[in-house]
Amino acid sequence: MSSSTSTTPGSLGSKLLRKGRDSVLGMDPQKIIKNFFGANSGITIVVLVLIMVFLLREGAGFLGTYHQELEVYRKAGLEFCDIADTPLKEQQLLTSALRRAKTTTDAALKTALTDAEDAFDTAIEPAAEILLELKTHATETKELATEHHTLEAGRQQLLEAAAGTSDAKHKADLLKEAELSKVDAPDYAERIATMLERRGELSQALTDYTTALETAAATLPEAVSDVKKAVPAHVATIRKATENLQKWSWEEPVSYFTAVRSFLFGSAWITNSSWHDIYGVVPLLVGSLLISLVALLLATPISISAAIYTNQFATDREKEIIKPVIEFIQAIPSVVLGFIGIAVVGDLIKGISQWELLSWVPGFPIQERLNIFNAGFLLAFMAVPTMFSLAEDALNNVPRAYAEASDALGATKLQTVFRVIVPAALSGILSAILLGLGRVVGETMVVLLVAGNRIAIPDFGDGVGVIFQPAHTLTGIIAQELGEVSRGSSHWQALFMVGILLFLISLAVNGCARAIAKRFEHSKA
Amino acid sequence: MKKLALTLLVLASAAVAQAQSTLRIRGSDTLGAKLIPSLAESFKKTGGKVSFDIAAEGSSTAFTNLASGTAEIGMSSRKAKADERTLCRSKGVALNEIEIAWDMITIVVSSKNSVSDLSKKQVMQIFAGDITDWSEVGGTPGPISVYTRNTSSGTYKDFMTLAMKGREYGKSSQKMAGNEQIAAEVGSNPNGIGYVGYAYAGAKGTKIVTIDGKAPNPAAVKSYPLSRPTYLYTAGEPAGTTKDFIDFCRSAAGEAIISKAGFVALSAK
Repeated sequence: MSSSTSTTPGSLGSKLLRKGRDSVLGMDPQKIIKNFFGANSGITIVVLVLIMVFLLREGAGFLGTYHQELEVYRKAGLEFCDIADTPLKEQQLLTSALRRAKTTTDAALKTALTDAEDAFDTAIEPAAEILLELKTHATETKELATEHHTLEAGRQQLLEAAAGTSDAKHKADLLKEAELSKVDAPDYAERIATMLERRGELSQALTDYTTALETAAATLPEAVSDVKKAVPAHVATIRKATENLQKWSWEEPVSYFTAVRSFLFGSAWITNSSWHDIYGVVPLLVGSLLISLVALLLATPISISAAIYTNQFATDREKEIIKPVIEFIQAIPSVVLGFIGIAVVGDLIKGISQWELLSWVPGFPIQERLNIFNAGFLLAFMAVPTMFSLAEDALNNVPRAYAEASDALGATKLQTVFRVIVPAALSGILSAILLGLGRVVGETMVVLLVAGNRIAIPDFGDGVGVIFQPAHTLTGIIAQELGEVSRGSSHWQALFMVGILLFLISLAVNGCARAIAKRFEHSKA
Repeated sequence: MKKLALTLLVLASAAVAQAQSTLRIRGSDTLGAKLIPSLAESFKKTGGKVSFDIAAEGSSTAFTNLASGTAEIGMSSRKAKADERTLCRSKGVALNEIEIAWDMITIVVSSKNSVSDLSKKQVMQIFAGDITDWSEVGGTPGPISVYTRNTSSGTYKDFMTLAMKGREYGKSSQKMAGNEQIAAEVGSNPNGIGYVGYAYAGAKGTKIVTIDGKAPNPAAVKSYPLSRPTYLYTAGEPAGTTKDFIDFCRSAAGEAIISKAGFVALSAK
């Protein structure tokens, strides 16, 4: 407290703010106030750095953990099974096409197709049976490896605790417990040997299948010529798989590069699997980007036009209405918007897509009411206030002299706006758009409820219609899965890696926005 | 959706310091969305002086919470996995398993769908993504939309074991947060198919698909191919309020509630 004991109201404030000899704890009050404000702005920077450190710390172990999992995937023989599985998966696609053709009313064709399907299925059976046995064996090996790894980690913890305690009895207890949880690592060489013994048998089964398949394909009716045409490619796949099975070796080390590559460029994200967890970020990234793109395409014209109108053409009365209304949108909680997306927007889009009139639109009629477009639409709604306010500020910042000069040269109001003011504010408008994008990329609740959560790279074969497919996003996956994973597991770390990726994206977007705004700043005339 | 509101409520209440007489129950959505809350209500009515804090976000969360000591009871629609047991053991928690009720995972399609029976193999092929069109199982041609629970759910894992021989779900499956959402999406999509706990099978616009001619029926749980027991887990032997509540769940009054909620009580098996 100040050393002054004056009681006149307001005297304290005036004392603090003017230069004087009063001192608090030997410091000048002026300095104290300055430092207080400085400390507050410092805190935000410190918190940001802490967040980054935390993210990196949790995600850092991912590479090592995932690399180890990939090693087990190879050593336990799961990879071997997956190589053998590729032709079987393709066989399913072929029989699926046959089954689809069976809707025909032509009885003779139906019989022919049923026979073909049966032939396809009996042909693959021996190979499938061998593979199933191998898979069971590989899964057992993997379980042994997991158990060994978990118990070993626990044992190390116990040993550390034992080393750190001074109580002799407690120490003995801990050491005894550590001794109990000692499990030998699975003998990979021996276990894999039992699998590789059957390699010849498996290859033979696949070769037999090829022969049977070619025989069956020769008698296929013309109605399913697409299946007929796909057979040679399928045979090539089988050959390649057989070759890969021969070449495959469990001892080949897995490089760290593989772990990085399968995370950054992997096309599957499969977790809590009973076979093998895969963390590939591409489907999530594509989902996020598509949704953001849709949101941006919808929000940009609306918010920028509204900003231009409000700033340049609107009467004061209109300004008083438009601005608060648009800014009020920010007050709507995103969960509520998500509800609206499910209950209203989804059904509306779906209903509209079934109109005959609009059947020319790519992707119409749509099947899923929860899709990329729906999520993008709601996010656009959320981004409008951000973009509108920032763009309006940018237009406000254009020096009045520009407009006056333009008027003096005899330009109409429209010419002034579109030839002078908007170009002058363009950098500000661009950064408004980018900051809107930043707002959209990080949004979670809406995409979690409305995007449809399909973890697959959307099928771009539909052209523009791709936006009516469901997708999953980077933010959505974190929200959906972080609650369930055990701390420190590979899944946990993978989610943090996704978090880091999001952070980098946001950083890049904001950085671009700042760079643009700086680059084209007009001199304040 | 109710689950979401519940979770938010819980998140809000978690900020408040835990009173001694609070039972924190975490885990399965199948159990925690309807059954356990209604059991908790009745338990309180019968004079149980305790407040409940229930969050249902999937069975996996039962074990993570028990291991970290943030729950007294874990609800799970599946048995604990080996690594979950190990996790709890490494934290000094001995998992104690209590079977509480049986559930029948029910396959639902839109009531507009002409398909009303599937073989077990067809169910597997549809969910694994081998069958992608309704015409392949004798329905009207149209691409199948598969709705599953999300990966933290015990039903997600159980369904893999019970119906898919441990195979992976197809790539085009859509992961929904709860039974309610699956029922809502299937109800709104004529080409949709999904699975829900039996308690949710009567949702608007959906109908139950029989499997090899067998409909889920509480009187014949054992003969339905997708029946499974559901569990409560505690850290060590339950004592005090936790024990009282579990005893209540297994009493005649509790079993009546279990049956009413669409589950099958242990004595009725």
